[in-house]
This record gives sequence, C-alpha cells and structure tokens, in this order.
Amino acid sequence: MTYPACIRPWLSLLIVALVPAFAGAQQWKAPTSMKKLSNGLTVVVSEDHSAPTFGLCISYGIGFRLEPEGRTGFAHLFEHMMFEGTPNAPKGVLDRVIEGGGGNNNGDTRYDHTEYIETAPLSALDPVLWLEADRLKTLDFSVKNLENQRKVVEEEVRVNVMNRPYGLFFGIDLPGKAYDTYPNAHNFYGDFRDLDAARIEDVQKFYEQYYAPNNAVLAVVGDVQPDEIFAKAEKYFAAIPARTVPPRPKVDEPAQTAERRASETDKLAKVPALAVGYRMPPRHSPDALTGAVTGELLHNGQASRLYQALVKDKQVALSVDGGVNWPLGTPFEFNGPTLMTSFIVYPPKVTEEQLLAALDASIRDLIDKGPSQQDVDRVVTKMRSDWYANLENPIDRASVLSHAVLFDGTFDAVYQIPEDLTKVTPAQVRAFAGKYLVPTNRTVINRVPSKEGDAGKQTGAGQ
Amino acid sequence: MKKTAMIPPLVALLASLALAQKEVPLPKDLPAYGAEKPLQTPAVKSATLDNGLTVWLVSKPGLPKVAVSIAVRGGFAADPADRPGISELLAKTIDQGTRTRTAKQIAQDLQAAGGDLSASPNKDSMEISTSILSPKADTALGVLADIVQNASFPESEVSLAKTNLADSLEQREAEPQFLASRARDKILFKDHPYHVTAATKESVAAATPADLRDIFTQRFRPDQAVLVAVGDFENEKMMDAVKKAFGSWKAPSKPALGPTPNPPAGVEHAVYIVPRPGSVQTTIELAAFGPKRGDPDFESAEVANAVCGGTFSSRLVSNIREDKGYTYSPYAFIRSLRVTGVLVTHADVRNEVTGASFNEMQYELNRLTTTSPTDEELLKAQRYLVGSEAVRLQDRASLAGLLTTLWVSGLQPEEIGRHGQKITSTTIADVNAAARKYFPAHQAAIIAVGEDKVVREEFAPFGLPVRTVP
Repeated sequence: MTYPACIRPWLSLLIVALVPAFAGAQQWKAPTSMKKLSNGLTVVVSEDHSAPTFGLCISYGIGFRLEPEGRTGFAHLFEHMMFEGTPNAPKGVLDRVIEGGGGNNNGDTRYDHTEYIETAPLSALDPVLWLEADRLKTLDFSVKNLENQRKVVEEEVRVNVMNRPYGLFFGIDLPGKAYDTYPNAHNFYGDFRDLDAARIEDVQKFYEQYYAPNNAVLAVVGDVQPDEIFAKAEKYFAAIPARTVPPRPKVDEPAQTAERRASETDKLAKVPALAVGYRMPPRHSPDALTGAVTGELLHNGQASRLYQALVKDKQVALSVDGGVNWPLGTPFEFNGPTLMTSFIVYPPKVTEEQLLAALDASIRDLIDKGPSQQDVDRVVTKMRSDWYANLENPIDRASVLSHAVLFDGTFDAVYQIPEDLTKVTPAQVRAFAGKYLVPTNRTVINRVPSKEGDAGKQTGAGQ
Repeated sequence: MKKTAMIPPLVALLASLALAQKEVPLPKDLPAYGAEKPLQTPAVKSATLDNGLTVWLVSKPGLPKVAVSIAVRGGFAADPADRPGISELLAKTIDQGTRTRTAKQIAQDLQAAGGDLSASPNKDSMEISTSILSPKADTALGVLADIVQNASFPESEVSLAKTNLADSLEQREAEPQFLASRARDKILFKDHPYHVTAATKESVAAATPADLRDIFTQRFRPDQAVLVAVGDFENEKMMDAVKKAFGSWKAPSKPALGPTPNPPAGVEHAVYIVPRPGSVQTTIELAAFGPKRGDPDFESAEVANAVCGGTFSSRLVSNIREDKGYTYSPYAFIRSLRVTGVLVTHADVRNEVTGASFNEMQYELNRLTTTSPTDEELLKAQRYLVGSEAVRLQDRASLAGLLTTLWVSGLQPEEIGRHGQKITSTTIADVNAAARKYFPAHQAAIIAVGEDKVVREEFAPFGLPVRTVP
C-alpha cells in the first residue's frame, strides 16, 4: 500500500494586500508509505529531506498492561534487557555503533506498546537496521546482565518514585485505585519483590511470546525513499520467522458506580497535592475525540479553564497538569482503558474539600454553559500545533506512525487528527462533560506531607 | 542551506572499534557505515533593525510550525544584591498583563496562535519563547511585541505570583537535583553574581511591582535583545512582520547593563553536604570550572567529556551503570556561561553505594588526565558530538534556543559550523591537554545531597574536608 501525498502548506501568496502575511493551508501531510513483509513485520516510511538524517522506531505490541501477575514492572525490566546484547552483538556493541554513528537511541515502555528508537546521520542507517533485526532474532539471555539491569531499574524507580516528592502517585496509585483488574490497576514500575523475583526464564518466555515480527511495526522517517527502505527491511528482517503471539485478552473494566477516594502521606513533599482521574470512553468510541478536546480545554497551559479557575480566580492551587492518557502519552496513543487525569499541587492553607469544591464548580460551569465556539477554536488550534510538533523530528514522527499502525493497522489518523479536531463542537464538549465528568466516574487521591516526627512514614507509590 | 562537510571521516572506524576493544569484537556481518552526505549548517538571515534589535531568521519550509525566541541581556547575575533571584519573579510576571491585555488575554491570544509562552531566566539573560502554527505567526509576534514593550506588572498579579512562587520554592526544597544545582553555584561562585540560581523566600517577600518595572525597563530594550525565528516562512515576509511588530520598540537613553565580573579561579576540594532527611539515594556531583564556548579549548574539553561521562557508551556510564548497577542515569556536561564554564559530573545512587560511586567518579575523571583516549574513543566522541548536534538542530525550537544562547555569549550564527569543524579537528593531544587542565578530581568540589548520617559515613574513608554549603 502506498499513500502518496505532500501538500505544501502555502496557499496563493500572490494576493498579499488584504490577507495576513502568513495565511496558509490548514492541513499538512508528509509523503508516507506502508508495506507488510511476508513474516508479518509492517514497515512504514515517511520522507523528510530537510537534512541527511533519519529517525527510526520499532514498536512491539506488548506493554505493561499485559505483563504477567506476580511480575509487576516486568515489561519495563524486559525493555532494559533488549539493550544487553545478543550472541552476535554482545553488550555494549549497540551503543558504541549508534553513538559512533553520530546518533542516539532509547526505549520506552507504555501500557500497550514497547518502543525502541534511534536517530542519527543517514550513514548509520544500515548498521542500525541490522542491530534492530539482530535483537529480534535472539538475545543474550544472561543471568549476570539481568542482575545488573534489575539494579539499574531499581535505581530508576528510586530516582523517579521513591526519592521524588509525589512519587508519580498520579500515574501509578491513581489507576491502581480507579481500576479493579490487574492489567489496568497494577504498579507498572514494579514492586521490588516482583522485580527481585524475575528470572532469566521469564525473560526468555516473554521474548518468545511477544517479540515476533508479526507483533511489530518498524517506522523509518528521514532523508530516505520508500522503496529503498522496503528493500533494506526485506534484507535485514525477512528471514526472521513469524511466531504465534498470544491472543490479546480482554482488558475491559467492570463499570464504576461510585466515587473512589483515598489519602496518602508523603515524606518528601512540602506541600499537598491532589490527583483526580475520570474514566474515559474507549479510543474508538464516538466520544473519544471530544474527550481529548475536553481534557485540553481543562488542562492545556495558562489559558486552560482549570488554571484560570483554580490558580488565578480562586487561588486554591499552585499548579495544574493533566489531560486524557496523561502523563504517559498523548490522548491519541493508547489501546485500552485510560483516565483523564488532573494533578493539582495546592497551598497548605487550602483544604482538600475547598480545592475539590472549586474543581467541581469549574466542571459544573462547563456542564451548565458549555464552552464558547471561540474557546473550542483556540484549544483546537493549540492541539493541532502540539500534534504537528510531534511530527517535526524524524524520531518522533517514526514513533507516532508506528503506534498508529500497531493499534489500528493504518497511519491515516496521524494526518487526519488535525482536521478531525476542527469538527468538535461546543455542544459535544458540554454533553461529554455531563456524561463523563461526574463524581461517580472518578477517583480522587489526596497526598499530604507527613507530619514532623513522622518522617519515616510513607504510603502509596514506591512502597 | 549551506553545505559543510562536518562529520569526521569514517575510514576505518569499524576496524578501529574492533582493534581497540578485542574483548568485544564487532559482529562480522554488521554492515559498515554508509557514505557520508554533507551535513548542513543553518542558513541564518541576519539583520539589525533601526532600534538596535538583532534579528536572526532561519527559513524551514514544510511542517507549518514556527519557533520564536527572544533573549535580552541580564539575568540572575544582574539581579540587585538585595533582590537575589528576582529574575525568576520577573519571568513569572512578564506575561501577566500589558497596557492593553490582561494575563488571561495574553494566554488566550497565544493559544489561538497554537502556542504558549515560556519565560526562562538564566544567569546572563532572560529568554521568552513560543512555538506556533505558521499561519498564525502575525498574531504571536503581536503578543510578544506587546509583552516586551508594555508589560505592566499589575499589583494583583504580582501579589499572586509572589505567593505561588514562595510555595513552589518550598516545594523545590524537596527536590534533590534542585538542591544540588543551587549548592553547586553557591560553592563555585561564592560572592560572584553567578552564585544566584533561584529566588529566595526573602527576595520574593520583599519584591514589589515597582522593582519589577525597574528591572524590566533596564533589561528589555531592543539594543540589548535578539529575536530568533525558525520555521515555515519566507525570510523576507518574516523580516517585514518582525519590523512591523517590533519597529516601534524604543531603547531608553540610559546606559545598558555593565559587564559581568570575572569568576573565581578555583574551588576547594571538599565534600559539601546538603542534608535531606528521608533520602533513599545520594545525589553526587563533582563540579569544577571549565572552558566556555568560544575559548580555544572548549571543543577539546567537550570531546574529553564525551569520552569520560557525557555519552551513554562513555567510561563512567559503562562503569557505574552497565557494570556495577549503582545508578540509573549518570551524566556529565559542560555548561557555558558568558564569562566562564562549569564542568559537572552527576549521579543519583542508592545510599549504600554512595562512597563506592564517588570513588568511581573520581577515578574516571583522574584516569582521563593520566591516560590517552583510544583512537576509537576519540573518533566515536567526535562523530557523536557532530552527528547528534546535526540531528538536534533539525528541531525548530532547539535551533532557535541555540542561536539565542550564542547571541547571549557574544557569538555569531557561524559559530555552529565552526564548532563542528573544531570538534572534527580535535586530536588526542588536544584531549589530553584539556583533560589535564580541567578534569583532575582534586579541582572539583563534591556536592552530596542525601541523608546526613549516610553521607558522612560513606565519605569518611576518603579523608576529605567536610563543609556545609555557604
């Protein structure tokens, strides 16, 4: 399948007298093509000839939602093991070759995918493709390397959770309270006893189950031609056999019927914080796009409703962050239950109930009056701008394209989202708020600094 | 675009990789790097407006985005002695009202252009920037021009910003990386104005709208400012739009800020403890003076740093992460300021390996001063620095940010190409010289943020003087 399209974003520039200097078309697409190899590996190519570089992302259809029970944090620990070498390219080769090629590499684990990303000058493309193919053939299942990475991951959890004020409680404890089933509720960074229990046999089994070409999407973006990349993908990846991947289990949640509340103490935070999570409709439901717009209307920057109401007008908060699928992705990149999360840091003189009452009043106002057309236009413009920013750098565009194809089998949405956003109406936002932003659909966790003399006590994330 | 061949020659890199590291041979089937295409340095259209404003434009057609960044001279180092860190309050309030727009209108007008405002105070400057949709560039330029000329610091907004900043200062007291960077600058710079990293409770409490207006008027003047735009526009049209929006900006007759004094020559090699009760990790930094951008040995020091701890495949990361598992994300960097540079090696490690980690950090710095990097290490560092900068500067906002930083340091856009060529021509002898000059561990102060008792016990065997942070 090939999807040619490159629309220059300039309309006629001949008429300058009465139009702004920067009038331009509303939509932008990069030439992008797709092909599936006989072993099931999908290859996506998008051109960007502005510099002789490339960005690459290979996404696998496995994330922490499906990691085994008793092995919380395993999908992420496994991601680390993908950097620990193979029988052909022992530990250290990957980083040496990529950095020696003038590039960078990394990996990310999320709920529904694990991705491996690289960017470099074009001259490093062949070795990088070879290395990606190599670690899809087999790994060096080394007990020593597992021990090493278990320690590294535990330091990662310390630096990001246990040694950090608030400890990501809005991303770990909130879904833990909001959901009832293991896939959606468990601590994705992992309990230390589970990380400690992981064995090399687990690594091998997980690899054999999920790291198959037919469970992966490879995207290459940059100063390349589609046919050239399809040929290279064929050369390096085609001999890797397809494997049977476990069917995706149902990860739906039983309906929420009542508000859920919890309190935690934090021995590192100096001021309290509140996390609020509303359950969102499935990504393909007709309400999903409206949910994304509503989330940004409430949370995106200083113009947002919650910032204006809570920080400025009522002065009951210090900062407000959040949105749909925040903080682990955009409102368009997930494949199972997700929340609209608000993370609000507030001054000690304000009580939890005062803050929540102010939040409720803002949402009530949205439900009663709805946003104006101008409000929606503004936030949609910002969302389009933010989305294009995701497509700017080859490595980021490769990532976005690979997720879209992994979840939906097509990248059409990547270029369609900016246009679809412009179709969301104020009435839809108002109806959405009335249906989803209600107390019975939400979970609230209040986290307060532990009192003096209570310094060792910590509840919630990181325990 | 100007084409300059920048990346170092590949000849035999793979062969030398194999020779240098016999214990880890490269796979025999691994394809060689391909032919190099010349990397590009940005073509910058430069102009000075009648009012003295420097304008640097880079046209990058395609994706409909524009990054705009404005920098003015004067930051933390120029804060009045009785208002240390007031630059931070200035950054928080500069977009909170003009003569014709409220704070909310500013936020909404920028959002309607697809952007929001980021105002960051630095030691030498303040930068305000945004990233917008190109068809809306006129709107965004109008808002930015209004802010830099007419920021009004309304009483109520300043008062709210003071309260919130005081609370977030409190909140930051809990963050180990903040505590480390604040301690680092106090230790290195002592009474020099670069010692200021952030506002203080006292300076925030004392600040008034009149203070902010004074500082704003002193610093925000077109003859002491640069505007950089990178993105989807034609240079001529963008230059006209900038002239239209910023042409009326007037420089006051008062003299501009004076020069920044010279920094101290060195720092005591001692352990500076920042107690943090309940800490499950120690944040360790070794901090010393280094070269600044534009110094003849800046690039040699950058290459040395890339070999030592500045890349993932560097010696330090291989040692304390990939071999020993002490830490998740150790790093090292050279921070270039207008009158000096600072060399920092950083790791967050679990409490019980605090001493062991410091020992390795110290060892790696010293090893660099006593042994030469291998040919492979040199070439890999050079190719990494040149290649990854080329990749990074594809990003509109990154390029705009780098260009404003160059201007603040008194450098020209051509510095980007020159920098790449100097990296490429760095020799092992250059790296050795820079390593001996800047990297000996005994030239560094050691900052340790963590549980007081743990830090004291872990550092005791080293017999170093233990100090409290001034």
